[in-house]
Amino acid sequence: MGSMENLVTQIQGLSGSVEDIAHLHNILKLADEALHSESSMLSAVLDQVDPARHSLGYLYILEAFTSGPVSKEQALTLVPILARFINFCDAQQIRLAPDKFVSVCKRFKDHVLLIESPLRGVSPMRTAVRKLQTTFEHLTTLHPEFLLLCLLSKSYKIGLSVLEDDIFDIDQPRDLFLYCYYGGMICIGQKRFRKALELLHNVVTAPMNIINAIAVEAYKKYILVSLIHYGQFSTSLPKYASSAAQRNLKNFCQPYIELATTYSSGKIAELETYVQTNREKFDNDKNLGLVKQVVSSMYKHNIQRLTQTYLTLSLQDIASTVQLGSPKEAEMHVLQMIQDGEIFATINQKDGMVRFLEDPEQYKTCEMIEHIDSSIRRIMTLSRKLNAMDELMSYDPLYLTKVGRERQRFDFDDFDTVPQKFPI
Amino acid sequence: MDFGDLKEALASQSYAQIADICDHLMLQVAAEGVAFQEEWPYAIHLLGHIYADDINSARFLWKSIPSSVKENQPEVVAAWTIGQHLWTRDYAAVHEAIRGFDWSQEARGLVASFAEQYTKRMFRLLSSAYSTISVQDAALFLGMSEDDAANYVLRQGWDVDPASRMLTVKQQQAVTDQKLDPSKLQRLTEYVFQLEH
Repeated sequence: MGSMENLVTQIQGLSGSVEDIAHLHNILKLADEALHSESSMLSAVLDQVDPARHSLGYLYILEAFTSGPVSKEQALTLVPILARFINFCDAQQIRLAPDKFVSVCKRFKDHVLLIESPLRGVSPMRTAVRKLQTTFEHLTTLHPEFLLLCLLSKSYKIGLSVLEDDIFDIDQPRDLFLYCYYGGMICIGQKRFRKALELLHNVVTAPMNIINAIAVEAYKKYILVSLIHYGQFSTSLPKYASSAAQRNLKNFCQPYIELATTYSSGKIAELETYVQTNREKFDNDKNLGLVKQVVSSMYKHNIQRLTQTYLTLSLQDIASTVQLGSPKEAEMHVLQMIQDGEIFATINQKDGMVRFLEDPEQYKTCEMIEHIDSSIRRIMTLSRKLNAMDELMSYDPLYLTKVGRERQRFDFDDFDTVPQKFPI
Repeated sequence: MDFGDLKEALASQSYAQIADICDHLMLQVAAEGVAFQEEWPYAIHLLGHIYADDINSARFLWKSIPSSVKENQPEVVAAWTIGQHLWTRDYAAVHEAIRGFDWSQEARGLVASFAEQYTKRMFRLLSSAYSTISVQDAALFLGMSEDDAANYVLRQGWDVDPASRMLTVKQQQAVTDQKLDPSKLQRLTEYVFQLEH
């Protein structure tokens, strides 16, 4: 135990300046194995270090201490210790050992799930995300863990706060897949279908060598949300999607593709029969609720289609064309759509008629100009980012060797020792 | 649990903040491992979401409430009944749910303020969606007796045909801020200039 006391002294002494901490980090790396072998005795050691001042040392000890399997009772005592560390630790120090921090936070998540109170993990995990990420554009391995806790504890609204950040840096591909999948589910729960589509689309079009389960599940939800939001679904993926996705995704989602085909007929009765016969499949995928929203969205899209053809139409005609029971039901559907801003129309109860109108937006309010301006600025930032990435890529050795290999025969001009950075 | 902020918001009628205050506090006490469920002001929390017109969040909160609370606290169920009718767009039933319960002292002000806001929202909806509507239906939407409803809309400039009991809607001219910050216009001009050259 002598070496342990020694280590504690060093942690206490070397947590001040940047140089000291770097030195301490080397000591800790060497001591890591010893810490793991004595993990059962570490609880006394933890009491001697301060999570806020000696964060790096505390992290190494805590990681070793929590490395073994735990029972439910043990998890109950560990959760407060872990939560306290996450809340008080110093971001600069823990970023020196991100792997350790991630594994400690993952254990924290496992423990709150073990004691069946995911809500306990939400707030600390959000703190952990913010401490680990270097900028708001940085996607950490903890992002998906945070979103998972939000989903399990039904705190969807708090999940949105993280989803608003635009992501540009990713540590692991798996993080992106899970982040976008869980994020899509949160947006679906909050009925933000456009944002949900964007996230799910990122999953199915992300680079992948072989197909993965996350992409398959995301594709199923992508089909359903696309039907709810746009009333249609195109089976062809964009060119930049991986060939693995192009070739295989559809085969794994046959019932969903057929659902989309049935939907395109516009006949509510056919759609209902199809859903009824395939109910079990959708239920097993836990997508039945979303499928039901698909069915009810059909009335909406059928009414929307009418606005493209007619200027005025009787409620009776609307009811019979979109297969609703009565003119009153049609009136309620039209009213809801007006309320949600999905169509522009006025109902004339006296004559039982609906008049469809043009979008009254004239693009001259302050709000609209603000909106246009901010969109332009966003796109400009994005374009700058893209140029910077392009530049980085153009002198990446890996990329250059690949391009060089593919270009077998050289022209005289190509014997240029410096590769062209910017083809203008 | 420190409900100071919540009490203050209720006292100062800052009802729009209730949902955020409750959300924040709940995450905080949950992270500390406090068993808050039995003492949590679920009814106020639900009403806070409803007031902020965030029915999705109200629904998820309702789903997370333990069944013992739902059985023992009728006010929580009453609060969700309002949310449920908003969720299913049963416009008239919302008013009934508001009136159908004897709200506690803490909830009363919040519910009354929501009711007022909801009536205004319904009036705006009717103004934008109808050109003519029966007095009977307008009364259902606004949650008033037929006479009160007729008087209410007449004050807003609508017309009533006593024979057919039909109201003619007067479209409201939405007043929007048209004043523009010159620097914004300047920037947009620069963009266009850049694109053309």
